[in-house]
Amino acid sequence: MSNPATEAPTQDVEPVQTHKVTKPKRHVNGKFVIGAVMLSLIILFAILGPMITQFDPRDSDNPVLIPPDATHWLGTTSLGYDMFSQLATGARTSLMVGVVAGLIAVVLSIMFGVVAGYVGGVTDEVLTLIIGVMLVIPGLPLTIVISSLVPGRSGLLVAVILGITGWAGAAVVLRSQAQSLRNRDYVSASRIAGENPFRVIGVEILPNLLPLLTGQFLFGVIFAILGEAGLSYLGLGPTGSISWGTILNEAQAGGALTRGAWWWFVPPGLMVALVGCSLALINFAIDEVINPKLRSAPLEARRLRKAKKERRAEKKAAKVELKKEAAS
Amino acid sequence: MRYVGRRLVIYAVTLWAAISLNFFLPRMLPGDPASILIAKMSRNGDVTEAQLESIRRLFGNPEASLWQQYLDYWEQLFSGDLGTSVSFYPTPVTELIGSALPWSIGLVGVATIISFTIGIGAGMFTGWKRGTWVDHVVPSTTLLQSLPYFWVAMVLIYFFSVQNQWFPIIGGYNVFMFNGPEWSWEFVGSVLYHAILPAITIVISSVGGWLLGMRNMMVSTMGEDYVTTAEAKGLKKRRIMTTYAARNAMLPSIAGFGVALGFVVGGFVVMETVFSYPGIGKLMITAVRANDYALMQGVFLVITLTVLVAMFITDMIYGLIDPRARQNV
Amino acid sequence: MIRTMGRKRVVAAASMVAGLSLIVAGCSDSEGGDDEMSADPTTSADSTAGAAAGEGVATDRELVVWAGAQTPLNQTFNPFVPEVQHLALGGVYESLFYYNKAGSGEPLPLLGESFEWNADGTQLTITIREGVTWNDGEAFTTDDVIYAFTNDIAAPDYIASAEATDDTTVILSFDEPQYTNELSLLGLTWMIPEHVWANLDEDPLSFPNIEPVGTGPYTIASISDANYTGVANPDYWGGEPNLTNVRYIGIDGNQSAEDLLRTGQIDWVGMFVPEPQGMEDAGLGYINTPQDPTVLYTCSNADLGCEGDQTDVAVRQALNLAIDRSAIKDKAFVGLTGTASPTFALLGRDDQWISPDVSAESPQSPEIEEAQAILEEAGYTADADGFYGKDGEAIEMSLTSVDGWTDYNNAAQLIQEQAAEAGIKVTASTVSWNEFADGRTNGDFELIMGGVIGTSVPDPFQIYKDWFGGDATTPAGTALEPGDWNFSRYSNETVDEQIQVAASTIDEATKIAAYATIQEEITRDLPYIPIVINATQTFYNQTDYTGWPTEDNLYAFPPAWASGGAGVVLSNLGGTE
Repeated sequence: MSNPATEAPTQDVEPVQTHKVTKPKRHVNGKFVIGAVMLSLIILFAILGPMITQFDPRDSDNPVLIPPDATHWLGTTSLGYDMFSQLATGARTSLMVGVVAGLIAVVLSIMFGVVAGYVGGVTDEVLTLIIGVMLVIPGLPLTIVISSLVPGRSGLLVAVILGITGWAGAAVVLRSQAQSLRNRDYVSASRIAGENPFRVIGVEILPNLLPLLTGQFLFGVIFAILGEAGLSYLGLGPTGSISWGTILNEAQAGGALTRGAWWWFVPPGLMVALVGCSLALINFAIDEVINPKLRSAPLEARRLRKAKKERRAEKKAAKVELKKEAAS
Repeated sequence: MRYVGRRLVIYAVTLWAAISLNFFLPRMLPGDPASILIAKMSRNGDVTEAQLESIRRLFGNPEASLWQQYLDYWEQLFSGDLGTSVSFYPTPVTELIGSALPWSIGLVGVATIISFTIGIGAGMFTGWKRGTWVDHVVPSTTLLQSLPYFWVAMVLIYFFSVQNQWFPIIGGYNVFMFNGPEWSWEFVGSVLYHAILPAITIVISSVGGWLLGMRNMMVSTMGEDYVTTAEAKGLKKRRIMTTYAARNAMLPSIAGFGVALGFVVGGFVVMETVFSYPGIGKLMITAVRANDYALMQGVFLVITLTVLVAMFITDMIYGLIDPRARQNV
Repeated sequence: MIRTMGRKRVVAAASMVAGLSLIVAGCSDSEGGDDEMSADPTTSADSTAGAAAGEGVATDRELVVWAGAQTPLNQTFNPFVPEVQHLALGGVYESLFYYNKAGSGEPLPLLGESFEWNADGTQLTITIREGVTWNDGEAFTTDDVIYAFTNDIAAPDYIASAEATDDTTVILSFDEPQYTNELSLLGLTWMIPEHVWANLDEDPLSFPNIEPVGTGPYTIASISDANYTGVANPDYWGGEPNLTNVRYIGIDGNQSAEDLLRTGQIDWVGMFVPEPQGMEDAGLGYINTPQDPTVLYTCSNADLGCEGDQTDVAVRQALNLAIDRSAIKDKAFVGLTGTASPTFALLGRDDQWISPDVSAESPQSPEIEEAQAILEEAGYTADADGFYGKDGEAIEMSLTSVDGWTDYNNAAQLIQEQAAEAGIKVTASTVSWNEFADGRTNGDFELIMGGVIGTSVPDPFQIYKDWFGGDATTPAGTALEPGDWNFSRYSNETVDEQIQVAASTIDEATKIAAYATIQEEITRDLPYIPIVINATQTFYNQTDYTGWPTEDNLYAFPPAWASGGAGVVLSNLGGTE
């Protein structure tokens, strides 16, 4: 997954041009396919999982702490809850938190970043300042403070908190992108023609930023899922609902590791990592769209090496030929 | 110098805003912290006039106007007074933070630098080796990066401290041997030894980000004309890789260093709790769990300040390395 | 892990045995047959000493203790602040007597030698131990005792006067009978040196007191935010303890503590471990002493402002019957708990106080039909989903427990499930400790999974007075006074009357009669719904140390966190060999 921190100042990145572009020939990206398949499977698991399983995630009438077997595909917890069913129900909550927080973060980063970059002037100064403040204030500690002050947190509330604390990094990137787009001919033209700035942003700027926004949304999702897990570990996660974070919290409180119940502790952590991994792979592909060099350069290098090899082989062959001639 | 001046102004304003937010945050949320605190303290016996006074200084006299409270808050900050902790009554917040801060800065600072170095190095290498099998290994680093910090920490402890007792389970130093910090080689050794697992946790969870960012920049830079020119001139490969490509590719990573600290900070709060590490993150959780507002605000302020300073320093370094930044404020 | 492993001092073991405790006396040597036992404590001739100077041999292998403190430690040994570090109470400061919560014997004399009540309970005559010195060399006198009972900081307001009649006798006088405060007067009032505390320059409440002057078996050697150490007091009146060095450390979570215990890095801890067998296999000693009832607090009294369906006694009764206590015991508490009595008397220890007219045990398996019958009789009807309600509104109650208290969290989830089976909707969730503490003191809750503090003496009176008494509560919305525990806002005139009766007598028959009435009321009203008697697990290193409290010789309440017991246990320990 690309870290927005390292991505933030890559201002020279070429924006995609939906206008008058010669589209490169369609090429299926392997990383994208793997990422998309993984993600679909996880989403499918979240949707279908609770339906497939015959167990209620909060049904304690099962034997406790049994390892995975034919009945309990992922074993049971110390209370006899079926892990598969817990994991599937948790997937819904965790993905919901991720998506909601990711959307909020993207909307906020557009509101601040794009507007600041496009409008410029005093508006820019003020918005940049707000972005700067949010950037300086570390997200998770802020979330912890807010969460600790709000009793009875639902999953949705946790998502909102994570969303409003985690957008600043993306806003910085968007601002610089919007700044550079602002000076493109076609944007300047609409601006000078006196079009409504919001219309310009909506019609001219945002479509150009779409790949970037998608990337940032994906990052926002995984940031929120990780954040939710961290909050839950500290006991500040959503109350009353099952998420991967709360399963992990219960597993560590129940001493899952020391009791050898790996099936209780490993799967939720792995699921978080797999979601992150799949999103990151998709993001990889998006990065290559945003910055075509990422794609062309390795291909180029490969081509070059191949060519060199061939040339060497030719030379070698020529030498052998020469030697042969000399020998004869 | 204009560059430095301008940045300073921006940072000063950011600082002002962050501190103000710190002031308003507890006041925006439901419940009046001062009354909650007084109610809480009166449960443990009578609240003395001196204690009431300190609460009033901390949260402002509830009867005073918000503006007056705000002014008082600033006055207090300037005199270096962050109030008194309730959960560690009567220890001043500054003292608690003072003893915790070096631990966090040491651990997180060193671990982040290690992670940065490894990430940049590996990123440089993988970027250079573009178009080879290495390209297929790079995406797998994202899996490591997506693991929750505490999960990694707990797995590490389980395997390396419990199953195999190679590393300590808790603490910033050997709490079974030393009666508090002291200046001796043994102690320094113990501190380093105890920092290994927490540092590895940070490195595992953050190295992927650096690696990826660097690799992508490296790949882009390798396509630039000046690199091609250098190649055409027949310069040594190593020289092209380090001096021409990597140096320029690194710029964004350096600029992102300060921002990245913000993310690392979030992780270390959780990580320090797992390792019972005596740092600022641990202190923050303690404050949160005890509703110790003064301590919470103090820790929060210090974390914010630290990130701010780190960003400022990287900003300055960036300005030195990349002259364009000085023009293009 | 590097460890300070001191060379063991070889001291003639017999000379180390200075005395024995009243409770130890008569108990056979629990380690019977262990030839490393150098001397049988019961052979000691020194009958004046109250506390034993330990079993085993002198050792300076450092004993590492976790008493539940988290880092950073609060660096205070001030006995008047709630955050005082454990070793201070019992280890450095001593009370006049030690009341063993785990046994039903007489209190163990510490700084007191004997005490006597007058006929109407308004005067308590205490004889104090002679020849005791503070660890700064000053003599411990009746002035110190009087100071401890009359200082401005902690003196109870029911003491009318405290006077010394001679060098070893102090008489406390009260306006009303105070039998029931015997424990807090003799067992929980810490003797502090007047010459230190009377002349403090600062507010005694904010005095960190990092070099405490006490009479106990240990003195404090160091403290940091991660640990503190104690060394044996060579001039201890009971003889220098065999165990020379003790270290208390701060640990942030049970998981870390369990890991440290398993890897042999801590020697004494009281904590919940779901699989104690594993610890025993690792060579650790283990004892479980269930003491404190785990209950559902219900905010029961609508007259005092409680809100929610649990204010209806029928709902509480039905819930009480719907709970499957044996399942909770097995799953949430892994079978380690004791059986709860709705009378709040500790079964086994307090049996004599239980009225024959009430059931001594709470139902162990669910009685769903009876539960539903109660609800139906009270006018509730089941809806389509089987949930009961009245006037179209289903019963719905929130049940909270403190996040991280795994056993409680689990029990709450099981109760949610079990209640649903009987048609009662309960929603379990976890809250932070603060929300829990605020909720219960302010009466702002419906159901809370919580604990009741078991009594330190074999008599449930303290629970009746502090938890059920109308004097010990306030209307919802107002915080309870310190020392009051009636979170349920229960207020019943009959109960209050009988508490008064029981308070002013030491006649057993009168008390039994009063308790019978109280028990009849509270087992019907159920302001606290008893669940189990919670496990109290203690793990200790029996390889290197001997003299621990065991099933056979329960001379003190064993967990490391138990306030006041530390001194008694530590001074009873010694090294093996």
